[in-house]
Amino acid sequence: MDIIVCVKHVPDTAEAELTIDETGKDIRKTGLVFDINEWDNYAVEEALLLKEKYGGKITAITIGPKEAEETLRKCIAKGVDEAIRLTDDLFKGSDGYTTARILCSAIKSLDLKYDLILTGAQAGDDGYAQVGVTLAELLGVQHVSLVKKIAEVKDDALKVHRELEGGLEEVVEVKKPVVLTIQTGINEPRYVSIAGVRKAAKKEIKVLGAADIGLKAEDVGEAGSPTVLEKLFIPPVTKQAEILTGDVSEVSKKLVSILKEKGLI
Amino acid sequence: MSSMVEDPIQKLNLFGCMQCAICSGSCPISLKFDGFNIRRIIRKAVFSRELPKLSENEVWGCTTCGTCMIRCPRDLKPFETVLEIRSKLIEEGGIPPTIRDALESVYKHGNPWGRIRDKRSEWAEDLNIEKPKEGETVPLLYFVCCSVAYDPRAQSIGRALVNIFRKTGLNFKTFGNEENCCGNEVYHMGEKGLFEILVEDNLNLFNQYNIELMVTSSPHCYNAFKNLYTGINFEVKHYTQLLSDLIDKGKLKFSKSIEKVVTYHDPCFLGKRNNIYDEPRKIIESVPGVKFVELILTRSQSLCCEGGGGRMWFDLPNGRLAERRIEEASEVGAEIILTSCPFCLINLEDAVKTTGKEDVIRVMDIAEFVSEAL
Repeated sequence: MDIIVCVKHVPDTAEAELTIDETGKDIRKTGLVFDINEWDNYAVEEALLLKEKYGGKITAITIGPKEAEETLRKCIAKGVDEAIRLTDDLFKGSDGYTTARILCSAIKSLDLKYDLILTGAQAGDDGYAQVGVTLAELLGVQHVSLVKKIAEVKDDALKVHRELEGGLEEVVEVKKPVVLTIQTGINEPRYVSIAGVRKAAKKEIKVLGAADIGLKAEDVGEAGSPTVLEKLFIPPVTKQAEILTGDVSEVSKKLVSILKEKGLI
Repeated sequence: MSSMVEDPIQKLNLFGCMQCAICSGSCPISLKFDGFNIRRIIRKAVFSRELPKLSENEVWGCTTCGTCMIRCPRDLKPFETVLEIRSKLIEEGGIPPTIRDALESVYKHGNPWGRIRDKRSEWAEDLNIEKPKEGETVPLLYFVCCSVAYDPRAQSIGRALVNIFRKTGLNFKTFGNEENCCGNEVYHMGEKGLFEILVEDNLNLFNQYNIELMVTSSPHCYNAFKNLYTGINFEVKHYTQLLSDLIDKGKLKFSKSIEKVVTYHDPCFLGKRNNIYDEPRKIIESVPGVKFVELILTRSQSLCCEGGGGRMWFDLPNGRLAERRIEEASEVGAEIILTSCPFCLINLEDAVKTTGKEDVIRVMDIAEFVSEAL
């Protein structure tokens, strides 16, 4: 079973105090530590588990600068067979749709064979959660989003569990080829040792630009994107917290009256 | 086996083991967890001529306390067999998620606690500690340690030491946010490649200054710099050694009396692994008013708290041996149990709560104790 896994090199922002840069459209990256997007890490692990069980080849693709190769090296060290980095100044400002278009063009122009394409359900930086499903649409194949379990692999189909609201799970059977967007917790991603990453440093990473995959300036970046990021800002700090005091019945009454007052119930 | 040179069985001289069972008979982990038997692990390795496959609890249960090493009549280091097995698993990728997260955090942020570098010196924000300037001679460099920098309970060790240094007139500096994990736990979790990176990064940092003496809060950092690094060209001391020297020189003077029954838990990485038993006791007994009592298991027979060898990020069933230490402290009538290691402090502090002895026994680091008596 041949698998393509799409990965993104993102900054770790969990504890960082973020500031907006001069363009007003991005955060300052100085001092931030980058790593594979958390959701993509689970997608890579799922690809490796499937390869271990059913054989085949895994190709990892990323869009990003030279530094993003660190994430690809990690993937190779874990057992990914081929790695491709797509990079071009023209890609700057690409939205979720255009990102999917870039990936789609790479897959088509390189004639990559796949039974499965795995992406993370979303990315930890922009959190759009659009790329996987849009990629499926552009390739003209099925997709299943928020996949929590691959329960069965048949010759021509998969049975997968997807996460719904309220703790519900949906089980669907879907024909291959298919794009799955992977939810965290589907597996336990393996550790990759420093020695492993060092060995992976020798492996060639294919680097391609817009022209190499048949894309023109008007197809990508802001020009090719239906949505354009106008402004990024940190929400202003407000003081709206109120701690209700009294016994349970008093507190409940106060809470109900506040909710009614605000038109929430 | 790739070559005889790399064969861990040869490297660790495991053929020298005569299966006398002193190691397994004295192992603190075997005391609480039947599944771990270092003698059996060595036997399996020698018979099969390869590192045996073990359960997760066996591989990650060893605290690397060194009891097996100091008692082995053949001068072997039995616990290092476990380190070799860990290294092999690390190369294969199949390690417990908590260990994985600690290692990834060291690589990304320079500490195993998953915290960002920018907040490393937050504990000392109001203390105005100076950082050394490039090329400067630093008479005393205080190496804080990841746990003291980030753990809310252990942070007070750092504050206490700063107070002691200042009250005794010592001119000291710290690396602030530039301080990096020493790698002692990384080494003992078997991640050799990451350990090499830390050694290189730390030596590059140290070599920017002319350090005369480095003092560590933690016996784990002390062990790394003293025994695992090559290329350190200055003196390294655990803080108990420095305080002991200050007492000898009459520079550490106490103004308060602490009228309490006090006992001491030997940290394995200070005692068993580095043979430092007397200095902590000398400091405790120098504090006016103290009635010092030994625990039942003490010095080289001391019981591990289960904080070493990566065990801060991996749990075995049935509580921690730190609980037994609290029970012992209670039996000998101690009102305060002291230690001199952030891991021991954290584990004993947890144990005093889980054993319900919070109101009876106070857990303190020697640094905190001394700072209170100044």
